[in-house]
Amino acid sequence: MELWVGAIVLGLLYAFMTTGVYITFRVYNFPDITVDGSFTSGAAVAAALIVAGVNPLTGLLASLAAGAFAGAATALIHTRFKINGLLSGILVMTGLYSVNLHLMGRSNIPLLQHATLFTSLDAANPGLPGPVWSALALVAVMAAFWLLMSSLLRTDLGMVMRATGENPRMASANGVNVDRITILGLALSNGLVGVSGGLVAMYQGFADVTMGVGTIVVGLASVIIGQSALRVRSLGGQVLSAVVGSVIFRLMIALALYLGLNPIDLKLLTAAFVLLTLVLSQRVGKRQGKPFALAGPARSRWAWGLAVALAALAGWWALGQGPAPAPGPEAGRAKPLVGLIQLTDNALLDITRDSFAQQMRALGHVDGVNIRLDLQNAHGDLPTVNLILDKFIKDGASLVVAVSTGAAQAALKKVNDRPLVFATVANPFIINAGKSDTEHLPNVTGVYGWTPMDKTMALVRQIFPGPLRVGAVWDPSQANAVFNVENLKQAMAACPDLSFRGSTVAGSGEVYQAVQSLVGQGVDVLVLPTDNIVYSAFDAVVAAARPRKTPIVISDVERLADGALLALGYDYTSSGRQAARLADRILKGENPRDIPFERYESLTVGLNLDVARELGVAIPPEVMAQATLVHPAPQAAPGPAQEPAARAAAAATGRGKRLAIFLFADHPVVLDSLRGVQDELSESGALEELGLEVVVKSAQGEMALGQAIAQDLVRQRFDYIITLSTIALQLSSQFNETIPQVFGTVTDPYLTGVARSPTDHQPNLTGVATFQPVEAVIKNAREVFPRAKRIGMAWNPGELSSEACTMLARKVAPAYGFELVEANVTSTAEIMEAVQSLLIKDVDLFFLSGDSTMLSAFDTVAKMLHKARVPLLSNSCADIERGAFLSVGPDYYNVGRRTAAMALRVMRGEPTQGMPIESYVPETLCLSRALAAQYGVTLPDSVVGRAAKAGEGR
Amino acid sequence: MIEIKGVHKRFNPGSVNEVYALRGLDLSVADGEFVTIIGTNGSGKSTLLNAVAGEFQPDEGTIAIAGRDVTVAREFQRAALVARVFQNPFLGTVPGMSVAENLHLASLRGGAAWPRLGLTRRRREDYRDRVRALEMGLEDRLENTIGTLSGGQRQALTLLMAVMNAPLVLLLDEHTAALDPKSAAQVIKLTRQFVEDRGLTTLMVTHSMRQALDLGTRTIMMHRGQVIEDISLAQKRRLTPEDLLERFAELRRGEQLTDDMLDQLRRAYV
Ligand SMILES: Nc1ncnc2c1ncn2[C@@H]1O[C@H](COP(=O)(O)OP(=O)(O)OP(=O)(O)O)[C@@H](O)[C@H]1O
Ligand SMILES: [Mg+2]
Repeated sequence: MELWVGAIVLGLLYAFMTTGVYITFRVYNFPDITVDGSFTSGAAVAAALIVAGVNPLTGLLASLAAGAFAGAATALIHTRFKINGLLSGILVMTGLYSVNLHLMGRSNIPLLQHATLFTSLDAANPGLPGPVWSALALVAVMAAFWLLMSSLLRTDLGMVMRATGENPRMASANGVNVDRITILGLALSNGLVGVSGGLVAMYQGFADVTMGVGTIVVGLASVIIGQSALRVRSLGGQVLSAVVGSVIFRLMIALALYLGLNPIDLKLLTAAFVLLTLVLSQRVGKRQGKPFALAGPARSRWAWGLAVALAALAGWWALGQGPAPAPGPEAGRAKPLVGLIQLTDNALLDITRDSFAQQMRALGHVDGVNIRLDLQNAHGDLPTVNLILDKFIKDGASLVVAVSTGAAQAALKKVNDRPLVFATVANPFIINAGKSDTEHLPNVTGVYGWTPMDKTMALVRQIFPGPLRVGAVWDPSQANAVFNVENLKQAMAACPDLSFRGSTVAGSGEVYQAVQSLVGQGVDVLVLPTDNIVYSAFDAVVAAARPRKTPIVISDVERLADGALLALGYDYTSSGRQAARLADRILKGENPRDIPFERYESLTVGLNLDVARELGVAIPPEVMAQATLVHPAPQAAPGPAQEPAARAAAAATGRGKRLAIFLFADHPVVLDSLRGVQDELSESGALEELGLEVVVKSAQGEMALGQAIAQDLVRQRFDYIITLSTIALQLSSQFNETIPQVFGTVTDPYLTGVARSPTDHQPNLTGVATFQPVEAVIKNAREVFPRAKRIGMAWNPGELSSEACTMLARKVAPAYGFELVEANVTSTAEIMEAVQSLLIKDVDLFFLSGDSTMLSAFDTVAKMLHKARVPLLSNSCADIERGAFLSVGPDYYNVGRRTAAMALRVMRGEPTQGMPIESYVPETLCLSRALAAQYGVTLPDSVVGRAAKAGEGR
Repeated sequence: MIEIKGVHKRFNPGSVNEVYALRGLDLSVADGEFVTIIGTNGSGKSTLLNAVAGEFQPDEGTIAIAGRDVTVAREFQRAALVARVFQNPFLGTVPGMSVAENLHLASLRGGAAWPRLGLTRRRREDYRDRVRALEMGLEDRLENTIGTLSGGQRQALTLLMAVMNAPLVLLLDEHTAALDPKSAAQVIKLTRQFVEDRGLTTLMVTHSMRQALDLGTRTIMMHRGQVIEDISLAQKRRLTPEDLLERFAELRRGEQLTDDMLDQLRRAYV
């Protein structure tokens, strides 16, 4: 849910940009690349002003102005000097990089500690889930914006703009100052792009000088996708399609992510998708004779059909490429196929599925190694259930696992020649799986259990003694729901002062009204027996019950945090685990006929104290004593979000924990550190002890992807997050406010805004700060080179961590009697020039610190310096082999281990809030004897004695 | 109304593609005169019109319209005085915009375009009436885009747009050349009607000798960037298309000898 809503929100934020691109690209026929720069300008200006204490709305207006200014500059270059439009845009975009750095004063401005428009928006939230509220508010804003833009294009000025774009000669002959109108149009367009940049910065919580890279491609793709999807020619429709295209684009990314697509392929897929939309829209046009004729409904259906088919194809392909690679046919024959099917996207069923898969792994059935595990979801569509079952049979599944009563029912019908295991089924006997636990269909076994309604009612009676009107809502077409309602009625029959009011629904859409009618009849408490339909509309139940403060009792512990007072139900994790054990026995050769049905093992009693307080219900101590799960979790920091509850629920039910390790790029240093984390985790034995499942996610250096992953981690409710690298920390901390998070491989966490001091940090996160041992390098250099005067240093001002190193070097160098001579690079292409320029300035030493731009050309730099006989100093011992003379580096492998050690403390229950950020710099000094000999440098014994490694070097 | 004095224009000067299109052209057109222009291909007729419209600035000489020196004024600055119809029916209108919107654009000529919804219902009715006068059935297609209209319809609309805001000078450059005979006749009929009704000072380039003689109050003949013949209304009445054609034939014969030799001499000695 969060993933999709989050994608929509992002899409709407970027829609200002795509509308801007629509204006230049479609209205003006102008290929405007300025966008990549003006997007960042908008972000930079807004962020800089907000940090300076300016009202965020004013900041956003300044973003508009900054973008407009950039656009006007491009148009001016194009019209005044008659320079090709594409080239003008490239010139301005390139120049803007410097301008943006100046505007920001550094490469990255964090906004976490500052109020933005989204803070005000959240403050006005009437109680909806955060992302939904943002999306709704943005939809309203977008509607107004759409109206404004489409009317603007219809005004006299708009007509003149359109005429200028389509037929400039005619416009000029009609007295239009084409140059001026072009400037206006580009200013407007880039102004909107700037607004988009400002909003995205506020939303993601920081502005970064690189955040605009690739914006134009996204903009063009969105415009094209939107136009092919909507295919309307009216002006309003055109503007709308730019907005819709932006949202579709973000949803596509979310989908790819959801499908577990390898992020590396995302760009390729985007390109393929845009190409296909273009080709298809041409085809469709040609068939009708007119390339851009108005689209009839039939045709748009045709186009949609193709688009859906394409998406399905992409999805299928992605699944094949995903984390579970489909084995080849030969390999496949040897590995038995286990097909699992679930009926809906219900959270309970997801838990069953996940715990099943996890337990299977624990039992040695590893997907892709010795079995094939095919997890399928019918997304609530019964025809699909049958399709999936057919597929399992066609693929020769050795075992089918059906999760939920509906899936089990269909499977009982289809699967009779091979073993079938069911799970999370209330009562297998009413669907004719058998007569008793031991006497059942020969190929079927499974786990079942229904909520003991008598126990539920007993608890209800303890909380509400005296006469009570009990209301229940169910869908009579759900076999298990009817069964549960019967149980409830039986449980009530024992007490004469209880009366029953029932209301039935035919679909989740009727739930709200049904509950309203019950509340209107004055029921004292709503007791909802397990019913997938009603539970899927649980939010509607809560909304309808609120006006009269009617308490709600449910059987789904997972939904306790969503507004129920009391939840009593089975633990769906154990359902999955038990089913996996049954599957294990069958795979090992046991006959399902001889395996009796099992009942669930553990029962959870959950209480929501927030709701109790809200309703003014006093929970008697004897009920409190029975509770195995209390929301909000006592130790958790108070907060509005639901995650602590989910976490607490997971803790109470003993479900295996999931840890996500999130890295921004596959940089060697980060990978070193990742290895450290992994080794520490596995050597500590925590993986088994905590039943820990570890997932590693890398954003491949891609900002948009990083945002999406960060959102996805929250959506998936990981129990813990470890972030490696500074940007991963920034991205994750923006979206994650509740999941305990430990960061590592961060040079300066205080620059990112997540913390002000080691103890004053965002409550849900802590971690390890590893400043580059800059001073140690300079100090040792002083000892080795007593006569050296000047240290050269080239660095990229666009890198936050590099900036930190340079600032430190600036401070430290004079203290040891050095003069620091700097040169800036913005890309690898400028490195040779920069080094050359420093060599001309007669530097005695060259210092290459944690700058990843410079590091990427390390060998080149080393060779240049070697030729000039200038010793190279660095911050990583690995560099000695590659030509460094002296290095003092943090050993990132050990940083990773330290990070993991901290994470382990968190996983064993220590709250992050009380854990100060550790400063950990495992300094190791390394020297190259070979270079010392070559350069004729005598290494002082004191330094050699300290060195961990005096390598041969080259 | 139009005073052109000693105008020279070279395109791509100094390159192998250099073209000396106007060579000291003088022309004076009185208020209300309707001048038809004929001439050999490449003789500079279109270039003359472009010079008046302001598409470029002449290398030498001056151009004045209604007593104002407009030699350095840019095209859009002259648009309040000068309106034009191109030979290419695709050039005079915006294909992606509706008939009404195109007419509205023309009505903005000479004024400023503000972000206001100027195309009101009343305006539309006004445009409908004007379009009805074209007798092409376009009054029912006011909301259709220009792209769906035929060349003749477009050209008639362009003409209507050109005269909409009462310009002082109307420039027509073979505006019927790309049309079928029937549409061409209709557009010529409209041209005559508009010009006569409003007494517009008009320059019209044509390749039809008959049109040149039938229409207008004066005919000039151009050759090699100069006016070589100026035929008054009285003379026009006496001449036949055959006479004009004979004149062209003469020019061509003469050209082969003298001009080619002259050119060679010029290259060799100048
Ligand atoms: N913009 C331009 N750039 C270069 N050369 C040009 C340009 N405009 C006109 N010319 C050249 O100037 C000369 C005169 O052209 P012009 O179009 O005025 O002739 P014309 O009398 O209108 O001929 P036609 O009867 O073919 O329309 C031609 O040789 C033409 O190629
Ligand atoms: Mg011509």
